[in-house]
Amino acid sequence: MEDTKHHTEPECEMEAKDNSRRNFIKQSTLLTAIALTPGTAVKAAGMHIDEKIAEAFEKMPLKMEVNGVAHNLSVEPRATLLDILREQLDLTGTKKGCDHGQCGACTVHVDGHRVNSCLTLGVMISGKKITTIEGLAKGDELHPMQEAFLKHDGFQCGYCTPGQIMSAVSCIREGHANSEMEIREYMSGNICRCGAYPNIVNAIQEVKEGGQPV
Amino acid sequence: MKQFQYTRAVSQQSTIDAIAKPGTKIIAGGTNLVDLMKRGVTAPDKLVDINNLPLKNITSTKTGLHIGALALNSVVSENSLVLQKQPLLSMALKAGASPQLRNMATVGGNMMQRTRCAYFFDVSMPCNKREPGTGCGAMGGYNRMHAIFGASEQCIAVHPSDMCVGLAALDATVIIAGKKGERRIQFIDFHRLPGDHPEQDNHLAMGEMIIGVDIPDNNFAKNSYYLKIRDRQSYAFALVSVAAALDISNGIIKQARLAMGGVAHKPWRLFDAEKALAGKAATEENFKQAAQIAMRDAKGYEYNSFKIKMAPAVIAEALKHAAGLV
Amino acid sequence: MKETTTLKKSAQTDGLSRVDGRLKVTGAARYSAEFNIKGLTYGVLVGSTIAKGSIKSLDTKQAERAPGVLTVITHLNSPKVPGYQDGKPTGNGVFKIFYDNKIYFSGQPVALVVADSFERALFGASQVKAQYNQDNHQTNLRANVNTAKAPHGDGTYKRGTEDAWKTAPVKVEQEYIIPSDIHNPMELHAIIAQWDGDDKLTVWDKTQGVQDARDEIAQIFKLKKENVQVNSKFVGGAFGSALRTWPHEVAAIIAAKALNRPVKVVLSRADMFTSVGYRPHTWQKIGIGATADGKLVGITHEAIGQTSTYENFTEGTVGVSQSLYACPNVNTSYKLVALDVGVPTWMRGPGEATGAFALESALDELSYQLNIDPIELRMRNYAQTEPQGGKPFSSKYLDEAYKMGAEHIGWNDRSPKPGTVNENGWLVGYGMGGGMFGAYRDGATVKAIMMADGNLILQTAVSDIGPGTGTAMVSIASEMMGIPAEKIRFDMGESSLPQAPTQGGSSITASVGSAVYAVCKDLKEKFQQLIGNGGTDKPDYAQVLKQHNLAKLQVTSSAQGGDERKKYAMFSWSVHFVRVKVHPATGVIKIDKVACVADSGHIVSPKTARSQIIGGAIGGIGMALMEEVVFDHRYGRIVNNNFADYHVPVNADIPQIDALFVNKPDPYINPMGAKGMGEIALIGMASAVANAVYNATGKRVRDLPITPDKLITMDVELS
Repeated sequence: MEDTKHHTEPECEMEAKDNSRRNFIKQSTLLTAIALTPGTAVKAAGMHIDEKIAEAFEKMPLKMEVNGVAHNLSVEPRATLLDILREQLDLTGTKKGCDHGQCGACTVHVDGHRVNSCLTLGVMISGKKITTIEGLAKGDELHPMQEAFLKHDGFQCGYCTPGQIMSAVSCIREGHANSEMEIREYMSGNICRCGAYPNIVNAIQEVKEGGQPV
Repeated sequence: MKQFQYTRAVSQQSTIDAIAKPGTKIIAGGTNLVDLMKRGVTAPDKLVDINNLPLKNITSTKTGLHIGALALNSVVSENSLVLQKQPLLSMALKAGASPQLRNMATVGGNMMQRTRCAYFFDVSMPCNKREPGTGCGAMGGYNRMHAIFGASEQCIAVHPSDMCVGLAALDATVIIAGKKGERRIQFIDFHRLPGDHPEQDNHLAMGEMIIGVDIPDNNFAKNSYYLKIRDRQSYAFALVSVAAALDISNGIIKQARLAMGGVAHKPWRLFDAEKALAGKAATEENFKQAAQIAMRDAKGYEYNSFKIKMAPAVIAEALKHAAGLV
Repeated sequence: MKETTTLKKSAQTDGLSRVDGRLKVTGAARYSAEFNIKGLTYGVLVGSTIAKGSIKSLDTKQAERAPGVLTVITHLNSPKVPGYQDGKPTGNGVFKIFYDNKIYFSGQPVALVVADSFERALFGASQVKAQYNQDNHQTNLRANVNTAKAPHGDGTYKRGTEDAWKTAPVKVEQEYIIPSDIHNPMELHAIIAQWDGDDKLTVWDKTQGVQDARDEIAQIFKLKKENVQVNSKFVGGAFGSALRTWPHEVAAIIAAKALNRPVKVVLSRADMFTSVGYRPHTWQKIGIGATADGKLVGITHEAIGQTSTYENFTEGTVGVSQSLYACPNVNTSYKLVALDVGVPTWMRGPGEATGAFALESALDELSYQLNIDPIELRMRNYAQTEPQGGKPFSSKYLDEAYKMGAEHIGWNDRSPKPGTVNENGWLVGYGMGGGMFGAYRDGATVKAIMMADGNLILQTAVSDIGPGTGTAMVSIASEMMGIPAEKIRFDMGESSLPQAPTQGGSSITASVGSAVYAVCKDLKEKFQQLIGNGGTDKPDYAQVLKQHNLAKLQVTSSAQGGDERKKYAMFSWSVHFVRVKVHPATGVIKIDKVACVADSGHIVSPKTARSQIIGGAIGGIGMALMEEVVFDHRYGRIVNNNFADYHVPVNADIPQIDALFVNKPDPYINPMGAKGMGEIALIGMASAVANAVYNATGKRVRDLPITPDKLITMDVELS
């Protein structure tokens, strides 16, 4: 794509809505001559063009709702939901354990479903509702799964715990908590290096058997 | 990760137009692509997010089952039509990845996922698949997870999918869209062997996209099983996996379908073993014989020769499960 | 229905819940990388791609020009680290980051790219181009055992006659190998460094010891200790990996100084495999002999472990053979092979876990040769006094532990003939293995403040990597003071608090617990002084303060061991029992049942103690069945440096685990009678699994991990 001004494909509505970018293009006659490909900002920096301009160019608007709060953000497309939560929104309850979808510490709910936020690009969840561990309790009243983790000591260091709890809630919601074996299988996407697995299973079974809404 | 442009596709046609340009990639679930981008294994200039396209349907057709390319792995694995008509596919899906990843990964994306070979993942290592001409690190290196069938001097990587093993066994067809319209290709012909071009995982041409999969109706639902052997009980790639489907009538196998994972650059269909089983009684002895037939062309390397012993055992075991002998 | 019964039987929820639990389950607990400091910048390390040699050139221009990149620090431009000038510049010392162009291992940081966001730093790091002069490297232990050297002296120990086992009528001689294992705590190692002027530094750092870290950092940067503040409020696991200050921590501090801005460095999971230690790959050989009635004649235990070329790491691998059993003739040797790899460090159960795998496997092999039950064989060689010096044990109830564990696992159902029990196509086997670890105690100081509202605040500089230190300390104080746990706050994880040792070696409950005990005792005495003669031992503290018009009453007390260690040998003991199922055709191993028994004195905090034992057992299952660092020696590089290829147990691998305690106080070690349990929870577990697999299949795997491929390709060994 050589020049977005001449690009009429409807698929690019996100680009068209990207005001910062359009403004930037209007402002900078110099840069319209540069191929609008990634790495442009690198080139811009190399040409000693003001970095702030490059930054505006590389970011996109992102609207999302996190724990019931609407956020209007400006993010680089390469920023993951995990890093946006932790570094931009200071919601550090969601953890980074591997950054590659191999441990589950970053598990959050997107529109009610558990996903690995480390492999989710922020721009891809525009308009969606995110629930993190910080949004699970109702004020001072803990979610039943949080209570059960406390009671059954479903953790030690606590680092995988937010991911475990988000996953555990989903495990019941999805209908995958009908036996110890099923829970173990459906909680296997969350690694706990301290080894709290049996306690986690017990916590989930108690919530499931208690029948409280999750 | 390199900076890239991100756009959201609004139609199939606009997607096809966009991906005609080099450096442009489709993103759906992102579970594999984002991982590879983080590691610098791939660095697209532009991503086209197709999640808004209407390709999520799972529907019954006159001849079988249609599954849209964007149907989530988790959704397919729990779908009542799938469970009823093609439980093998559900089993294969549930054997893969984790619940979170299955909630993100799509059917089309699963087909497009790339090998887990360590040399492919580490950009400081040689790998013909990642960087043609640099050599195969795994050939003389740590190749425990690698291919015993169909490898070439250029590449001995395996395709990591479980779902694809199930679809290969079930005679599925891939529906592909491109500039010239739609075309259909047998699932077993979708992925390719490495040959001299290991950088090509499959026969999807530049500018084409997967839009769905068709699975013909069959009589396998009662007697099918997916068995995956791995280094831990869950959330691990296969050492060897087997999709087994049998059409049994009065104890006699009318038809068999067998495919293996973790052994080749593509889901490995066991045609000779299937033929050998047709018309035979569903017994452990016959299963073991068929398993041996399946191993005829196997070739082991320094660390993966165990698969030559493991694979037939897994085939026989999967068949026993499928036949209800376990 | 069956599972429900299991749950009701094994779920133990009695005892104090974690005092910091609410913070952990709500996501409010902040770990080292999670402090939102004004002006924070992000550092990403660039690792060497060669294992040995030197940096020929470093091109950082592209990285420096990348948007948002603030600086790229390398050995070419790094501000001088004052402490680095001391001693030898290279080799024979702690690896000095950005000091010179020498490369000691693949993955060694050669640059730190700092940017205004993580994404930009990560991209910048990918733009650093390094060229190397490559030397021939050695990363293969097995290929280099001929270069093994004793780390100090000749590395040998002997009592009685050397190699006496050879004269015994029944004997076993075998080699046992463990690969390197990585601690891999879920929290990535992380540090935020912030300077205040030239001589004051604050770090939020993942460490098991805030004061040791403070001292090390002060020494490296030649700062006054009081000018270095180390905070480690929550530690997301460590298992030994955060026992020392690593080069990446120094790098962050260097960068923060260079930029005059706070810098955060978080290791990648791949970095965790090269930069923060590991349990070293170790080759062992055991010769063990006994009389026909099972009395040990002699043990010879040799161990060769790997270390780095720039620093020696040693651990107590052969110690178990010296002390676990009453055996008249024991000789051991311990050597190291220096390789072009990162330096190892203590990993949970350190050398004892490595050694116990070998010894307890060998003992199991001997039991089959003798046709004596493995527990009976151990009882026939039960050490009533410490075998090395003959000192009495301060306490030892290992015999009771054997009985408890055997009963819980159903040891009577074990067939003494391997490979003979088949349950629906799965071979069933039972195994056991034990361990020991020194019960240590360090000095510690605790400040106690009784507030006007009757709430008690305890303060000390310990950190908690997960076992629940705060919870145990609150339990002790609650009992001592007679006030509920909710009224006690335990402050920790800051180096400016009163002295406490580093959390390691299973010593914290004994060390800090004793200081909590002492300070509570002293505080109560202060109240007694206020009340005067005849007052109750546990008064209404708030009321007393009110009566005396006091806003608070505080006291600081220290505690340390006396000369009891001169009189007694002090150890914690454990024994693990495992029931496995093995699928004979596919080699799949399922851990079916586990019972672990700890003889670790009085149990101060039952709920967290149980979790600690379960956690150690799971660590041992990982060690036994799946954990293994794999090198491609052609490149000297690890090829499975991630959680998809380096397997640790997942939930599906782990059944309910019975964690049992003898729970009898040690009369000498400390006022609570508590001994450590963090290490013994793991020590011996790997052998229990291996022994169970043998009992199930007749296949003896002597090189860990026991993966399906090994089982299906090896032959049955029947004695």
